[in-house]
Amino acid sequence: MSLQPLDQFARNLAPDTRAAVYDGSKKGHEKRTRVLFDAYTDPNRLREIAGEIKQHVIEHLDTYLPAVEAKLQANGVKVHWAGTADEACAAVRDIMQARGLRKIVKSKTMVSEEIELEHYLDKHGIETLETDLGEFIVQIDHDHPSHIVKPIIHKNRREIARSFEREGLGAYNDDPETITRRARQFLRHKYLAADVALTGANFVSVESGRLVIVTNEGNSRFCLAATKCHIALVGIEKLVPRDRDLGLLLNLLGRSATAQQLTVYTEFISGPKAATQPDGPEEMHVIFVDNGRTDVLASDCREILRCIRCGACLNVCPVYRQASGHAYRSVYPGPVGAVLSPLLAGKKFPELADLPKASSLCGACNEVCPVNIPIPDLLLRLRAKGKAEGAPLASAGTPPMGAWSVLASQPAAWKAALFGGKILNFLPTKLLPIPALRAWENKRTLPAWKGGEFRSWLKNRDIKK
Amino acid sequence: MNPREQLLARVQAALAPLPSRAALPDWDRELVRMRSALPAADLWALFAERLQAVNGTPLTSVADLVALLEKNGWKHGYCDPVLWPALSGSFPAGIKVETTYDRTRVDDYAFGITSATGAIAETGTLILSDKDTSYRLGALAPWLHVAVLKRAQILPDITAAVAALPPDPNIIWVTGPSKTADVEGILIEGVHGPGVQVALLLD
Amino acid sequence: MNLSDRRKPGADKRVQLMATCICDAFYADTARATVEVLEYLGCTIEFPEGQTCCGQPAFNGGDWAASRKVVRHTVRTFAGETPVVVPSGSCAAMLFHGALLEFEHEADLPAVRQLAHRTWELADFIVNGLGVKAWPGRYDGAIAFHRACHTRGTGSSDAASALLGSIAGVKLVPFGEGEQCCGFGGTFSVSFPNVSAGMGTLKLEHIRAAQPDVLVSGDMSCMMHLSGLAEKEGQPIKTQHLAQVLRDALKNGGLI
Repeated sequence: MSLQPLDQFARNLAPDTRAAVYDGSKKGHEKRTRVLFDAYTDPNRLREIAGEIKQHVIEHLDTYLPAVEAKLQANGVKVHWAGTADEACAAVRDIMQARGLRKIVKSKTMVSEEIELEHYLDKHGIETLETDLGEFIVQIDHDHPSHIVKPIIHKNRREIARSFEREGLGAYNDDPETITRRARQFLRHKYLAADVALTGANFVSVESGRLVIVTNEGNSRFCLAATKCHIALVGIEKLVPRDRDLGLLLNLLGRSATAQQLTVYTEFISGPKAATQPDGPEEMHVIFVDNGRTDVLASDCREILRCIRCGACLNVCPVYRQASGHAYRSVYPGPVGAVLSPLLAGKKFPELADLPKASSLCGACNEVCPVNIPIPDLLLRLRAKGKAEGAPLASAGTPPMGAWSVLASQPAAWKAALFGGKILNFLPTKLLPIPALRAWENKRTLPAWKGGEFRSWLKNRDIKK
Repeated sequence: MNPREQLLARVQAALAPLPSRAALPDWDRELVRMRSALPAADLWALFAERLQAVNGTPLTSVADLVALLEKNGWKHGYCDPVLWPALSGSFPAGIKVETTYDRTRVDDYAFGITSATGAIAETGTLILSDKDTSYRLGALAPWLHVAVLKRAQILPDITAAVAALPPDPNIIWVTGPSKTADVEGILIEGVHGPGVQVALLLD
Repeated sequence: MNLSDRRKPGADKRVQLMATCICDAFYADTARATVEVLEYLGCTIEFPEGQTCCGQPAFNGGDWAASRKVVRHTVRTFAGETPVVVPSGSCAAMLFHGALLEFEHEADLPAVRQLAHRTWELADFIVNGLGVKAWPGRYDGAIAFHRACHTRGTGSSDAASALLGSIAGVKLVPFGEGEQCCGFGGTFSVSFPNVSAGMGTLKLEHIRAAQPDVLVSGDMSCMMHLSGLAEKEGQPIKTQHLAQVLRDALKNGGLI
């Protein structure tokens, strides 16, 4: 019986779901590999530079945040600051209540999941409707996304068709095109009846104050064409120093996330609509959200704040592929989540202290990361933190190392163990009360013990010489 | 301390112990030059090829546009009044074109024709802006969007397009028709945005 | 650490051999083959008797204090200036990467760095340390080469592939999803047994589809996991360490 929750989750995962997650991830990874490496002469250098740009930004947030605030304000944008999830939710509520507004249409923003915005606003009589097709399906199912780019990678068409029928969107029909057309028709009238567009931002340029939003569906465009007020929730780490750096990151983001040169829509938004434009928001708000990011900034794992949320690490991760996103019990799954989620949890770190253990440290994630985050090193640091703080989840299932380290620093004891271990070849090892040994033998045979043989051979050979 | 001061104080406290701070690297635009970049002989030709690669439709005459509308039975749409005089002569009576967009009748418009602000050849991308788009909804909601483009507006690549970002509050790079692969990874075109994206070259 | 900064062998080709705890305990022939191969190349081998383990198990488990104890013992045991050669990519990576992480704030970091700067995985040492371009002798068979994850970012797997591919009689057979981890991951294999076995089973499927005669790697830890899984499944596969293949090729060619 495995003691690690993620391992148990993986074991109990329905084969259909595992197959869907595996195939979706593998396809995403293979397409990305072709598109990125075929396109540029030195894609690795591109990733390194992008990583350096983002590292520079996070290490200068003390100057960049006030600078981008000034620029946004000069562009006619109202800037708000939220330290906690509650403050962020309250900021949204306050903007809406002050204007008597009740209906939000939103495009994808993981920050809104972090702060549990929908639930909070619901309690205050404010309706939030997801417009990204995957997020819309998650919403009507009262589910959670399982991938940061492909939220319903774990669902199949039959489940979606049943959900649509249940919601009154038409008789059961599991043809993907029909599903999509029904969502298109249903949602466009919702956009037009809404008051507020709530978005995130993929990047914010400090130089120009432009927010960059990338989508394929056109849902953020529709939110911003149909409504009169725009609220953007932005993590404080989303800044980019100059517009030209946007160019570099945009070359990497689409390719890493979905193997596209560019997503269908790349929006550069620097303020409310132009005076001559009939459609669009007359006012714009940006809420900069901390929600644990300053704790990450203060830690020895701050490199994770470089993340541009492309999902490439999820796609390539063999553990993610076996376990699926929900196994990570948090907003961010996969390799990035295994670092970010326990850190964002702050004082609740122990509740997620097992996530950094859920990795064989293979390093594939770092290899594909467009901003070169050294994820395996960060996982190791968090394992040390889990052990140092005595988090039970961090040590569950792990053989204790204290005795081992004594043995491995005492050569005489080590040699004795090498020669003495031969007894393992004669004992039914299944009866030995060593959990690690039993966990091993549950799945694999043990090789024969040959302790001492090499050393004897070497010694006898030298004597002969 | 208000939330702003508290947040900035936490940022400062987090960064204070760092012995040094990471520098902003210099990078050359050659780093993002694609291997397959052709010499910019004919930007329209490259743009058209890349647009087709993302399932967009490049056209070079109003007659071709009208043929497309008739072939698909798209008989009622919207056109920017600034563009209409140059196009109306080629439109048959059977196709009804309004020059104001009424958002209470979104389902009436099968197509919307507006001006492009520019284009990016390397990626087959159309550039739209608030200034040049008569109605945001007119360029977005109909099944077909036609962006009218001049040859001189076409930029070679992403780097050039970023350098040329105008001071407009809403610039949109449009690279083909809207799409999703959320359902089992199967690609479907025409989600919230147009299902058909045309670039009409009219110099 | 910049791997191209490492100490190359001197004219006397003196090296210290780190056998690895796993070969010490289970894979005596791999350690033997490593000795035979290095001696064939003219190396004089010292085997510091006090050696035990590189400290990786405790490091990966988060018990850095325990790991540092073992690393310090290793630093003392391998004192000196000569290159340290180890038939394992993961142990080598522990010494030139992992140890530097866990000693970041320790006073004896310089001593750890000194060892790191002369640590070589075997194939990397043969090709990039000694400059060997092709391997003599003969070995008849289809080889599926598994690249251990800890050799990412080093010259080891290119070196190993080059050596194997150059042996007369060897046919290197590629297999699907080669970049995916085998699932061992040290203590990961016992704390996440289901995911670990799932990963290994998938890899075995790909390998079997390529129909090799033998599965070869530069790391016995990966082989222990995969061969153990295969045997438990009732479909055992033949595995060898790179050193064993190189030694066998020499023997078959009458060179040793």
